[in-house]
Amino acid sequence: MTDLALRWQTLPAHLADTPLLSTALTLFAFMLGARLFQVIKQPGWCPPILIASSLLALLIWVLPIGYQDYYQGAAWLMLLLGPATVALGVPLYQQFHHIRALWRPVLITLPPAAMLAAAYSVALAWWLGASPNVVASLAPKSVTAPIALGITEQIGGSASLMMGGLLITGVVATLAISLLAPRLGVTDERVIGFTLGVNGHAIGTVRAFEISAAAGAFASLGMGLTGIFTAIFLPIAWQLLAFPMP
Amino acid sequence: MSMLRGFLLLILFLLVGESLSFMLDWPISGSVIGMITLTTWLMLRGHVSQDLVAASQPLIAFLTMLIMPGVVGVFFLGAQLAGQWLAIAISLIVGTLLSVLTTLLLMNRFTRAVSESESHD
Repeated sequence: MTDLALRWQTLPAHLADTPLLSTALTLFAFMLGARLFQVIKQPGWCPPILIASSLLALLIWVLPIGYQDYYQGAAWLMLLLGPATVALGVPLYQQFHHIRALWRPVLITLPPAAMLAAAYSVALAWWLGASPNVVASLAPKSVTAPIALGITEQIGGSASLMMGGLLITGVVATLAISLLAPRLGVTDERVIGFTLGVNGHAIGTVRAFEISAAAGAFASLGMGLTGIFTAIFLPIAWQLLAFPMP
Repeated sequence: MSMLRGFLLLILFLLVGESLSFMLDWPISGSVIGMITLTTWLMLRGHVSQDLVAASQPLIAFLTMLIMPGVVGVFFLGAQLAGQWLAIAISLIVGTLLSVLTTLLLMNRFTRAVSESESHD
């Protein structure tokens, strides 16, 4: 009996060593987040990912496992980001006739938009006295996760803070578009989708697919192009500005 | 099998992207090169198979779930960044608001110009 009691005590530690618990927690939090999002009538200011991440953080905090244990178990989910990013090529192809019609505005808007997406926050963080490490972590905030992780390796910074920055940026971008687009009289779904993808990476792109297939395709395009452009431009900018690099 | 065939195709394009990224020493991740290669391949072929649609749709729907393990780490950074949280929050929120505003205005302006020139033709 004491043997069983002892095993019961070490059960959480044992389960935390396998990917099972972490995977179950992630799926559960994601589904509950999506469910709650429906229940509270899909508010634009609080996308499902924000609810799901807060729930997940709460679960990890309540349960006798640490974030490091959780991450080790759930990291394999992030490997699926690779094929998922490749999969965006499908809607991109299906909506290509829309993109062909607007290739010129897309190519003109992209460089300033992607540069400013990084520059506004870098400048603000610098001005507010954040450490160089923090500034570097915030720079790739509008870039899709697989590319952003690569940028962080190049210019330095904390991967955890960078990923947190992605969450906040994605959420704020989604919110900002639902606030600003009607006030500026922007109704073109292609423009809204592109803005969501350039600024809000995967979170914005998922939101754009909720609007329409065309918006989703423009978001995929904006996300991909911003990723490519920023991956080239940020390391060069870091060198030119003589920011510390690892 | 349909979905599995599609998934294999996605993985193959990811492999191509990863190899190109490594061989040419590009800073762009293999997944984005894979995405562009896939789009180009589909355009050359002229149609998209049911397999590929079956595999890509669920992956795209769960895209945000796949970043959750990394994203949730921010809730556990607390003490490491003491004193910098305000700077982080302001720069992320205000910076994103400004950049959304800029992109919306730029893209809307250029898109309108295109639509107007088309209607003149």
